[in-house]
Amino acid sequence: MPNTIAVELRDVVKAFGSVVAVDNLSLSIPDGEFFSLLGPSGCGKTTTLRMIAGFEMPTSGEIDIAGEAQGYRPAHRRPVNTVFQHYALFPHMTVYDNVAFGLQMQKVDKSAIARRVAESLDLVQLNGMDKRRPKQLSGGQQQRVALARALINRPKVLLLDEPLGALDLKLRKEMQVELKTLQQEVGITFIYVTHDQEEALTMSDRIAVMDQGRVQQLGVPEDIYERPVSRFVADFIGETNFLHCMVMQTAPRGEVELAGGIRVPVSWIREGISPGSQALLSLRPEKINLFELSDTYPTGPDSAVVHGHVERLVYVGTDTHHTIKLDNGATVIARVQNFHVEEEPWEIGEEVIVQWDAAHARVFRE
Amino acid sequence: MEQTLRRNPALRAWLLIAPAGLFLLIFFILPLFIVIIYGFLERGTYGGVVWQFTAENFSRVFDSLYFSTFLRSLYIAVLTTLFCILVGYPLAYFMTSRPPRQRNLLLLLLMIPFWTNFLIRTYAWLTLLRTNTGLINVTLMNLGIIKEPLPLFGNDFAIVLGLVYGWLPVAVLPMYASLDRLDRSLVEAARDLYASGGQVFRRVIWPLSLPGVVAGSMLVFIPSLGAFVTPAILGGGKSLMIGNVISNQFLAAHDWPFGSALSTLMMVIMLFATLLYFRSTALKAKEERA
Repeated sequence: MPNTIAVELRDVVKAFGSVVAVDNLSLSIPDGEFFSLLGPSGCGKTTTLRMIAGFEMPTSGEIDIAGEAQGYRPAHRRPVNTVFQHYALFPHMTVYDNVAFGLQMQKVDKSAIARRVAESLDLVQLNGMDKRRPKQLSGGQQQRVALARALINRPKVLLLDEPLGALDLKLRKEMQVELKTLQQEVGITFIYVTHDQEEALTMSDRIAVMDQGRVQQLGVPEDIYERPVSRFVADFIGETNFLHCMVMQTAPRGEVELAGGIRVPVSWIREGISPGSQALLSLRPEKINLFELSDTYPTGPDSAVVHGHVERLVYVGTDTHHTIKLDNGATVIARVQNFHVEEEPWEIGEEVIVQWDAAHARVFRE
Repeated sequence: MEQTLRRNPALRAWLLIAPAGLFLLIFFILPLFIVIIYGFLERGTYGGVVWQFTAENFSRVFDSLYFSTFLRSLYIAVLTTLFCILVGYPLAYFMTSRPPRQRNLLLLLLMIPFWTNFLIRTYAWLTLLRTNTGLINVTLMNLGIIKEPLPLFGNDFAIVLGLVYGWLPVAVLPMYASLDRLDRSLVEAARDLYASGGQVFRRVIWPLSLPGVVAGSMLVFIPSLGAFVTPAILGGGKSLMIGNVISNQFLAAHDWPFGSALSTLMMVIMLFATLLYFRSTALKAKEERA
């Protein structure tokens, strides 16, 4: 079966006065995908979602939903439903009336509404709560009502605007798994807006990382985390070390020179950076290996090796963050997983060999 | 002294309410009792009372003459309330839809009439509405639009107009407050769930702003029912309300006991109206919590 497109944005621009919130955005989201718009506040992700919902109209460009151009069609005529950031449940209505609202507006007959409300509440595990009012429910339960209220209409696309933001950490993690399961169960396209990179990585099929109204990188979670294409993406998603460097050569293999004349191999240099120019090497803390001077460590053309001293240790449970002062003056943080509790820890000031594989080193513009 | 106060929060609380409590006792509760007691006494020849118990004043209250005046007052008060909502609600809605800076300006504009004496403002209407010399009729006749002056003055129309004008800001404020509190994302949620503009209003905006509408209505209804200045000036001496009847008992007819009885009855009716309002809003609040 060919993958049909659920939502397509073509050259969409949204300006509020002189402020451009969304800048020439084009996206194509296939049916059944869990798609996330990820970025810091003010990056245009919510505005994008609101334009798909029909709460905002694009200044220019086009939005298609299920193959149909939406033009200036208002929200109540679009085949999408929204789960709002603070749920926006109707406080004066029972759970039943909240969930039934969409069907009532579409003049579905009463017995069918009753059946589908029961099904929907069943889907989100809220059976027997139908007579309660939103205020009598916990945050997690309200969240489920909001989901049921949207999903009961069997929308082509479900839009979710930071729906887990108001929940505490543990509940949020549970709901992440539940949302993903639910999405696979109902097979509806989810477009999920979040500023929480872990949330996006956990649930999404694909992620668009946004900044300043533009998509900075679009890809599967692994791509976004392991192969960021810009300083912004590397910095925003997870933690990373940035080292100033000068590009020595880009082909046949990449090589840069760190401060102090240390040359290291790199796997990827952003297009357009020519040899001789200043750049930034990015390296995830968990990709760094630490060796004692007496250890044998990987050598060879794909291994980068720098000497340094342990400056600080922060124990965080699953692993320990080692702050290393390199001999060339730069500082890196290495995350080392705590496999063996009985192992002698590093001592402050101890000399250490810092090693990483070229595959994990990526070079961006400064 | 300071130590005693610190150790005795109850005493501190009493001290705080003492000035207001004393004031209300002397200038409100005491006179109120005097009015109620006067209602049960016989009239003196030149005003004042004769200390002789009687219930006759209260039975006279239900005399058809006074009762019909009361009904007319009720009718005018209801009409005033209705128009205040019809005009005030859209205004309140409009105000909440403005950006914050404009909102404050609009609120200020709304309150400006209160800086002028109510009597003067009512007389201003007189110059506009008067039958033969009023600005409106004179202008329309000079322009040849009408031949006979319109009946703008000395009737219920003039009274209702004057009352709506006077109480509109008071009606708008609570409606504005409840509309302002209304979470706009609820409107979007209803839209998102296929509700048209009308349906959004009926199912979401109106029920959620109802407490403000009820509060505004009470704030208009109660003073309108007892209105005295407006009907006296704009009613042209013919169109009277119960407030004028009461003032006449004291000032013209020298029948203080009967005036007191009428006042007492009005107070009881308004008390019931207020209680009803508090019960209905309290019930609603309870429902939402339940």
